Amino acid sequence: MTTPREKYSYYVEEKALEVTDRPRKFLEAFAAVLENSSYGLALDVYTRLSTKCSRCAASCQLYQSTGEEQDIPCHRSELLFRVYRRYFTPAGNLKARLFGGFTLTDEYLDEMAEAYYRCTACRRCKPSCPMGVDHGLVTHLARWLLAEIDVIPKALLVATREQLEGVGNTSAITVPALVDTCEFLEEEFHDIYGVDDVKYPIDVEGAEYVFFPAVSDYLLEADTLMGNAAVMHLTGGSWSIGTGNFDGINYGLFYSDRMMERIVKNVVGEVRRLKGKKILVGECGHATRSAWFVPTFGGPDAPEIVNCLQYAWAQMKAGRIPLKKEKIQEKVTYHDPCNIARTGRITEEPREILKVICEDFVEMTPNREENYCCGGGGGTVSIDEIRAFRTGPMGKRKADQIRATGAKYVVAPCANCKKQLREVCEDNDLEDVEIIGLHDLLLKVIDFSHETSSHGQEEQPTQDGQE
Amino acid sequence: MDAWLEWARGPVFLFSFTFMFLGLIRHVGLTAWAMVRTMRQAGDKTIPYAQVLSATLKWLIPVDKVRSQILFSLTSLLFHIAILIVPLFLAGHIVLWTRGLGLSWPAIPNNVADVLTIVAIVTAVALVIQRATAPATRSLSRFQDYALPLLVALPFASGYFVMHPSGNPFSYEATLFVHAMSANVLFVLIPLTKLSHMAFFPSVQMVSEIAWRWPSDSGSKVGLALGKENEAI
Ligand code: HEM
Repeated sequence: MTTPREKYSYYVEEKALEVTDRPRKFLEAFAAVLENSSYGLALDVYTRLSTKCSRCAASCQLYQSTGEEQDIPCHRSELLFRVYRRYFTPAGNLKARLFGGFTLTDEYLDEMAEAYYRCTACRRCKPSCPMGVDHGLVTHLARWLLAEIDVIPKALLVATREQLEGVGNTSAITVPALVDTCEFLEEEFHDIYGVDDVKYPIDVEGAEYVFFPAVSDYLLEADTLMGNAAVMHLTGGSWSIGTGNFDGINYGLFYSDRMMERIVKNVVGEVRRLKGKKILVGECGHATRSAWFVPTFGGPDAPEIVNCLQYAWAQMKAGRIPLKKEKIQEKVTYHDPCNIARTGRITEEPREILKVICEDFVEMTPNREENYCCGGGGGTVSIDEIRAFRTGPMGKRKADQIRATGAKYVVAPCANCKKQLREVCEDNDLEDVEIIGLHDLLLKVIDFSHETSSHGQEEQPTQDGQE
Repeated sequence: MDAWLEWARGPVFLFSFTFMFLGLIRHVGLTAWAMVRTMRQAGDKTIPYAQVLSATLKWLIPVDKVRSQILFSLTSLLFHIAILIVPLFLAGHIVLWTRGLGLSWPAIPNNVADVLTIVAIVTAVALVIQRATAPATRSLSRFQDYALPLLVALPFASGYFVMHPSGNPFSYEATLFVHAMSANVLFVLIPLTKLSHMAFFPSVQMVSEIAWRWPSDSGSKVGLALGKENEAI
């Protein structure tokens, strides 16, 4: 299971240590990417303009706690810019011919391998750059290029292999196990809430929504999935889980567009197989952001993407989710997952829901587009061997933020954020804080006794109402 | 000296100014073309225009941005205001344009120009000092990051002495020569260095947005190009 050698702060597979001629291969991959994807334009502009003003440093939670040069976003991006200038611009080529200077070496690649996994690609520094440089994009690209010389954190690689070549999902959950879990959850509805007709529809053709949570929820976040099912049930939503593919996780986003494309296409393929109309993404930040790349990879008639938070708020606003009189009494705060909040795409829906169901909702500061990353973004949360880094220098800001709210519940609608925040709280003396999904909290205040009487079938959207 | 001066103000100016002008036009043209080409190949053709525009405007009129790093932001803002207004709206410069091309536009009063010139020099030096004293910028900075603001200050300093010969320890002609030549050097450097941001600035936010709009088969094509299409993960 474990790899013997630890070359970087994260484990890589043995084969990564055997690659020879790495600088040449890295440059070949760089050339192929420039030729076939669209990073060239940004690199051309960034390498000309990068002004070294260090505004990004102030916005980076890692730099804020380490104060080290290597953790300035602009410094990190410059590592890749230097390679681009030297090997892919006429001026850089000429300069190298005339004066020598920078050459890509093995050691330099190692430096990059370290640097680009000390960044969670949270993109908090994006608005701080006067020249518009998106350091998250640079990290994204650099990690892909490193992946082409096999420098990939083992945790991400193994999960992706399982998803694309193994059982079919990152948690290696077989179809019988999935069905079992769903039946178990249905029984839980009976045992806990006394309702019998909440179902997890499996392989239903023609459903409006095909459901893709972070597959790990089936193992770890029963309450989130029960919240999801309760909402779908009460609102008469037409949905289904597909046995061909039920995993929203896409680690390709974190290390390789090649993998990302394949995983997105598999998701689209499953929706088409089931003749579904839309993709319903569970509580997972990066699954949502990856799904937003469906139009990129899925062709012109690609299915629409709906995040479960958007769905739940639209239904709640329409009065279709019956709630108990008694709200959540404890103090509640909300953590914005970078992947859904950074560009402002999903920030208000969860807040609106929380304001309805909580007596005492408080904001963290800063929040929304300016939130701090949980510290485990960009796939780093899966890398257990760097936990001390994630919850230490990287997670410190978040711990401070949570502490300042004094909240009992920190709502984080993202599987990655949840795991990371639990570890942050454990390692930073925040034992009393409970990290929880939004649907988990919602489940606590849903009034199931109501559903058969006043909220009858007639109010609810018909099964295929949209078309 | 007169001959040198004529040379700097005549052919050299003509060359360097044209070089800057064409260089910047080329940047704008090539960037626009690359943007169009990228979007044509992109799988996802939607762009959040309002968001891109607001990000661009927030830097053009950086009231919102001044909150963070207030000293540096104000220095940079004052610096830009001064260096953009003075060369364009100085009466003495407009006269030259009128003589050469028959163009004319309103000028700012000379005493306003004096104040802005001093602002330009002080802020340029202040930018360099801030850069050298803050640990983060110091570690990032290259030679050009220090040299360029000072080079920008040079035509302003010499220009000030041209306007106020009485306090000038050097000869009038020599000062004017330095003024013209430093401006010429700057014109040539503008399209070649990060100073070209004046041409790129309107497009940078859009470029960052478009950078995420990949062709729908970009991943598999890269796999093919690298001969990895059938490689096990
Ligand atoms: C035409 C419109 C222009 C715009 C919109 C513009 C915008 C900017 C912006 C946003 C910055 C980043 C600094 C900050 O963080 O506030 C900057 C830096 C800078 N600009 Fe401009 N600029 C313009 C023209 C010029 C010109 C004409 C020059 C000089 C010839 C110039 C010289 C500089 C220098 C030297 C810096 C770097 C300052 C430092 O960090 O040391 N700019 N500019």
